[in-house]
Amino acid sequence: MDLNNIKDAFDRVTKKQKVSSSKSQEVVEQMSQEIEQALSGIQSATNSTFPQPDHNLILTELKAKLKEIAPLGQLEGTQKELNLALSKYIKLLEKHFNPDISRSYRNVDFDLHTINQIIASHFYREGMFDIGDCFVNEAHEESVVDRKTHFLEMYQILESMKSRDLGPALKWATTNHEKLRQNGSDIELKLHRLQFMEILQHGRRDEALKYARAYFSPFANQHLPEIQKLMACLLWAGKLESSPYSELLSPTHWAKLAHELAQQFCNLLGESYQSPLSVTIAAGVQGLPTLLKLMNVMNGKKNEWQSMKQLPVPIDIDQEFQFHSIFVCPVSRDQASEENPPMLMSCGHVLCKQSITKLSKNNSTRPFKCPYCPTEVEVGQCRRLYF
Amino acid sequence: MEPLPNGNSTVTNATTASATATSLPSLHAGVPSSKLSQLTESLKLEHQFLRVPFEHYKKTIRANHRAVEKEVSAVMSGLSDAGDLSQDDAVQHLNSLVSRLQGLKRKLEDGSRAENLQAQRCRARLDHLESADADNISEWNNTRLKRILVDYMLRMSYYDTATKLAESSSIQDLVDIEIFYEAKKVIDALRNKEVAPALAWCADNKSRLKKAKSKFEFQLRLQEFIELVRSDNNVRAVMYARKYLAPWAATYMKELQKVFATLAFTSNTGCEIYKVLFEPKQWDYLMDQFKQEFCRLYGMTLEPLLNIYLQAGLSALKTPFCYEDDCTKEDPLSQESFRKLAMPLPFSKQHHSKLVCYITKELMDTENPPLVLPNGYVYSTKALEEMATNNNGKITCPRTGLVYNYTEVTKAYIS
Repeated sequence: MDLNNIKDAFDRVTKKQKVSSSKSQEVVEQMSQEIEQALSGIQSATNSTFPQPDHNLILTELKAKLKEIAPLGQLEGTQKELNLALSKYIKLLEKHFNPDISRSYRNVDFDLHTINQIIASHFYREGMFDIGDCFVNEAHEESVVDRKTHFLEMYQILESMKSRDLGPALKWATTNHEKLRQNGSDIELKLHRLQFMEILQHGRRDEALKYARAYFSPFANQHLPEIQKLMACLLWAGKLESSPYSELLSPTHWAKLAHELAQQFCNLLGESYQSPLSVTIAAGVQGLPTLLKLMNVMNGKKNEWQSMKQLPVPIDIDQEFQFHSIFVCPVSRDQASEENPPMLMSCGHVLCKQSITKLSKNNSTRPFKCPYCPTEVEVGQCRRLYF
Repeated sequence: MEPLPNGNSTVTNATTASATATSLPSLHAGVPSSKLSQLTESLKLEHQFLRVPFEHYKKTIRANHRAVEKEVSAVMSGLSDAGDLSQDDAVQHLNSLVSRLQGLKRKLEDGSRAENLQAQRCRARLDHLESADADNISEWNNTRLKRILVDYMLRMSYYDTATKLAESSSIQDLVDIEIFYEAKKVIDALRNKEVAPALAWCADNKSRLKKAKSKFEFQLRLQEFIELVRSDNNVRAVMYARKYLAPWAATYMKELQKVFATLAFTSNTGCEIYKVLFEPKQWDYLMDQFKQEFCRLYGMTLEPLLNIYLQAGLSALKTPFCYEDDCTKEDPLSQESFRKLAMPLPFSKQHHSKLVCYITKELMDTENPPLVLPNGYVYSTKALEEMATNNNGKITCPRTGLVYNYTEVTKAYIS
């Protein structure tokens, strides 16, 4: 998104702010000086022998001088400019961003406890156990704590990983080797790789070599280039920072791997790969712009909005959110259901049952023409499809 | 045969994309423009993210302006008011003015520093928005989820969790914890049936509340009045009303009259209309009112961001199939809690068929057309071809267990 406009506007604001600030300081300095001058004028009057102006005269002069400086007027000038820039920026924000994304929010019963339970489960399955505990405490949602025990083993593995101990993780990966392989996951290799790099980073080349020999061979078939890279790292034992593979040392690998391990662990437990909260929010982020546009179009028909059973327009979200097959009859535009299932005609085209009934004019003996090809179709020959 | 689960998150896509072809059409390297426009659309939802620190910045600036004006006026009038003074008095007077200005200078420096810090924070947020691009999108999305969760925690007053969460991912600059702490003071006081901090807040934001025609201050005053009546301090109550409620009389006469009448009914009244005014839940109502005014002033939505995004997501995902028993566990709506939340929300709508292979979870389209077994069950070409290759041309329907020859399948044409 091109934010240059907005950045420029913001820079103008900060500029005006600094100008206003320095003007304030300047004005105060001016006033200070004048008063101090007057002060020294009055005080020196007592010290000299020459007839000096009366102190009240000095005061009057001071008043006149300050009126001339007109500090309040000066301040007002820069403050006004700053205020202008401030409001301009806000208008710009409101123009480029949607100022109220709650417009499409429905006032329905959104149970607090359900939401809190969802959040707590999310924290536990993402491995954020401390935060999960703190949340459960503050929200008084103790019912979710048994979810945590579900993930207890995962917790222990992740805690060890936090202190750079890959032992439990490797043990788990080895135990579940077969299932992980079936899932198409290479996390076992990744764990071995990380361990290998750890050993190597401490300069223990021989130990690293032994480690590689012991654990890398099962992965040679599928991941040969990766293994070759790792073996090449042996040349830089102890000084990996200067090797071309220094990226492998990045601490983000630990965090990423912990996250991936959590995902695989959850999957083996019979949970989904992704946290359902993450998935729903991701879908929400993609879908909200359309909902807001829709709300704009429906403009204030709050009742209709609240009570609608189905959205009137499709929301385009990524393929990854398509969990179910939805068949839409090309003729009636209805979505297929138990009562109105998709039917395969002998020509290979598919319509929903009600469309077929209509096209055959309720006469189940006479053949009718498929709307997409010149084939004649008999109702009896149509087969129900199961997606 | 077990359906192959999708083992690849977007994080691991890069390394395993070659091994299993579960990458999604829209993530192909050659089609970034739709992803980018999707990203841009999602950034447009971040008004609150930029507006809140900016309002804070503006507030600091205005407060500093007011302080300067006040002091400078005071000095000016201090000078013009000084009549005929003795020499010593004059010196003393001028000295006091000078030290006042010195104090102001220090205040200005502090104020300027505060303004700069807040400007930096605004800038940091702009930079964060700009940093979102196709390469780091999953990490950026992760951060967004955390921001949304912190926002929820703050609104619900779960401050410890909010702080911990922000610290754990170093997103303190991207969330508004300090601003909510301001609100916390007022809310805690209201919970203890004290209105003083709330009134102070109203005074701080007087001009903006006035512009918004807010009656919050009036409601606070009413509650204080009621408390005086409750403790049988009728004389004080009347004096209080004269001083603090009268100015609002013009706009809110009816309400004023009703509350004023409690003097006659006292707190032990059985009369429903007046009894309700004495109930403790009036304080809860004040807390809610405050939260609303507060959010409005800072440009925040009234509802937590989490609820807004959840509703949108649930509706986008909701299909009648989600409520069936064999709904895949990858669908959030397979879970009881999500189903419960989604109950009152509308179903999603499709204009075109979108078919997903039961075995591979991939899209069945013209590149991977659906094939129909003799029993009416449909699977993708890829899935059946692979199965046939590995099983001597035989296919077993995973859902019915029936076995067929690959030659027995027919093609279905779905537009």
